[in-house]
Amino acid sequence: MEEYRDTTGSKIGMWLFLLSEILLFGGLFILYSVYRFKNPSAFHLGAEELNRPFGAINTLILITSSLTMALSISSVKRGDRKWSLIFLMATLCLGFVFLGNKYFEWAGKIHHEIYPNSPRLLERDKGEILFYGLYYSMTGLHGLHVLIGLVVLFIMGALILKGKVNEAHFIPLENSGLYWHLVDIIWIFLFPLFYLIT
Amino acid sequence: MESERKSPVVKDRTYVLVWVGLVILTGITVSVAGMNLGRWSVSVVLIIAAIKSGLVLNYFMHLKYEKRIKLFKWMIPGILAVLILFLGLTFFDVAFR
Amino acid sequence: MGVPSEILKETQPGISFYESKGRFHGLLGWIFTTDHKRIGLLYLLAILFFFLTGVSLGFLMRLELIAPGPTIMRPQTYNAIFTLHGVIMIFLFVIPGIPAIFGNFFMPIQIGARDVAFPKINLLSWWVYMIGALLAILSLFTGGGPIDTGWTFYVPYSLRTTVNVPLAVFAVFILGFSSILTGINFVTTIHGFRAPGMTWFRLPLFVWSIYATAWVQMLVTPVIGITLLLTLLERLVGVGVFDPAKGGDPILYQHLFWIYSHPAVYIMILPAMGVISEIIPVFARRTIFGYKAIAFSSLAIASVGSLVWGHHMFVSGQSDLASIIFSFLTFLVAVPSAIKVFNWVATLYKGSIEVEPPLLFGLTFIFLFSIGGLTGLFQGALATDVHLHDTYWVVGHFHYVIFGGTGFAIFGALHYWFPKMFGRMYQRKIPYLAWAFLFVGFNTLYFPMLILGWEGMPRRYYDYLAQFHTLQLISTIGSWILITGLILMFGNLFYSLFRGERAENNPWGGATLEWQITSPPPADNFKKIPVVDSGPYEFGKV
Repeated sequence: MEEYRDTTGSKIGMWLFLLSEILLFGGLFILYSVYRFKNPSAFHLGAEELNRPFGAINTLILITSSLTMALSISSVKRGDRKWSLIFLMATLCLGFVFLGNKYFEWAGKIHHEIYPNSPRLLERDKGEILFYGLYYSMTGLHGLHVLIGLVVLFIMGALILKGKVNEAHFIPLENSGLYWHLVDIIWIFLFPLFYLIT
Repeated sequence: MESERKSPVVKDRTYVLVWVGLVILTGITVSVAGMNLGRWSVSVVLIIAAIKSGLVLNYFMHLKYEKRIKLFKWMIPGILAVLILFLGLTFFDVAFR
Repeated sequence: MGVPSEILKETQPGISFYESKGRFHGLLGWIFTTDHKRIGLLYLLAILFFFLTGVSLGFLMRLELIAPGPTIMRPQTYNAIFTLHGVIMIFLFVIPGIPAIFGNFFMPIQIGARDVAFPKINLLSWWVYMIGALLAILSLFTGGGPIDTGWTFYVPYSLRTTVNVPLAVFAVFILGFSSILTGINFVTTIHGFRAPGMTWFRLPLFVWSIYATAWVQMLVTPVIGITLLLTLLERLVGVGVFDPAKGGDPILYQHLFWIYSHPAVYIMILPAMGVISEIIPVFARRTIFGYKAIAFSSLAIASVGSLVWGHHMFVSGQSDLASIIFSFLTFLVAVPSAIKVFNWVATLYKGSIEVEPPLLFGLTFIFLFSIGGLTGLFQGALATDVHLHDTYWVVGHFHYVIFGGTGFAIFGALHYWFPKMFGRMYQRKIPYLAWAFLFVGFNTLYFPMLILGWEGMPRRYYDYLAQFHTLQLISTIGSWILITGLILMFGNLFYSLFRGERAENNPWGGATLEWQITSPPPADNFKKIPVVDSGPYEFGKV
């Protein structure tokens, strides 16, 4: 029991929260699986229309942001305030670029009149309507989580600056990192499911 | 907090190596998508995604090093079991109508 | 006087958690509290309010149904009222119910802790609950008016009806967060904050039940979260995932909805069973029969119970194969529940039984829950379910298990823990009178529903054929008797809050930790964290 009291159990609490997040997206993955099973060729067509290089770049961006996140935490643990802030800023920038890319992707699709309930989309095969319904819902929910993550990381940055998060007390940053890595993992699955399926 | 300082230290070098692994796997998964593997394409792509996630979970998220609290060992297998059961039971409906 | 001053301090009134410490005083000291006991009482107040609201809606429904044809309302109003009755009773009363009130108040004490793992998150849970509740109430008076979809919000109707589905559904979505946060808090607390010597198998069975429930709360609530979010998105932008015109499958909505809502009924019943497991040993003066069986059965019910959701969908168009599998799993999950019932009864055997009010309600739980459970088996069998689905049989079934079960367990918990929470004892004779009205009223209200159901009367119907009139009339009269009982019971408890005799620390002779501290407890629960060296039902030491 001692371990819990020292870390105030908050790491456990964060992991449990992540489990609930996995189930939140899980519901969407269940829907995706069923509709893909029932509409294999439509989903294939939908995937071809999405910009694979864009998606791959975004994947690399998030993966790299996970690296900078981990490096920020290890810097704090070493007492290196300067580098922890630099790595944290890098994470924030990468996350911001990810969201920017998402915005452009969505804007592109919307410009081509492919969005939920658009007349153009409704003309298409039902499987494709579902593909895009799931695409917007899942990448949208993921994007919302990225945004929330950026806000949290920004707050962490402020706490590091103020010295409230330091080598003696870094659990808040570690927990924020856990959240950020989960957001990365979810995208690791979203990317192939929407951009790569054949 | 004492034990915060005691928590296992992962070297920065390890993190960078994991990152390299993740980038390579991303490259592999994109090229696999270009190949025509028929029925196996989805499985291969998902397996690679699982490996990548495993790297993030074990190294970036320190799961490999959390030996003291037993709960951690069971969380990911547990949640996978739950998802597989939910998905499986749903498929007993959807695939057999 | 010769009484050591420490003991005087322990038993003196006023040195309790009711005394405001910390930054805030008065009302603010309550709504900004992080004391798990105060939070438990905050929930008690809110939940009781919503229970009474739900009862009033039920009362109005029964008035309407006293005779065929319109009685006191139009059909649309009736649809809104039964929907609200369900939403309020389920999401604002029974699901939070025992965990939020008694779990919060007693679980930390029972494990020998000073509070939960995350006291501020605990307060947040209450705030989120209140916000969700207020949004739900707001939905009654805004948008297109109160929802009429039934508490299940099935598509496609919930996508098309013009009433305020978005706000109501959003309110339930918010309420889900409260449940998830509480679940995370309780699991962490029970894993990490037990007193020295409080091994897993020395935990009170109430704690085991709260533990199993917390896992379910945490893991399946997100699924209804995403389902409701998608329903909202569907209405707002038309994503299409549940709309057949766009390739969507309404049955998938039902899958996702029931993946949560079936385990939700285990969120409702497991803590109730935990309460019964506390009460029976104390009033039979015998240790519980089969401690480990009961503890593991809680885990079994939580896990297997999360795999049976398709039994709500036998006639929905689900595949036969899925239906068969879900039916099998449903029968399987009846086993651990039955094990509990057998073990409670075995505990009573050759016990030194005192039928105080807590035990009276506990025994009633066993009786009513068994009837409810047995009627569930008829629904779990595929062929009979075809006949019974969406009839009054189902309404009778779930009121027997939820109201006869959890409801009466809550009454039992109130009478058991009242002296500890409030430092006063209630008038001991009135509960028996109240119980008589409750028992007779309950069965008069709900047993006819079982008959009406197998005779074919559909549920959620505003009007009915003349042949069903007699039983509907009897049922409505039952509701009046039941409500009389509720008034007597709550009236007594409320009166005793102010005029009851001072209660001792351990009026019932319980062996769990809450009975070893003052009534009411001090703010930080224990002068010194106890070192535990015995089990929760070893009465030789008390």
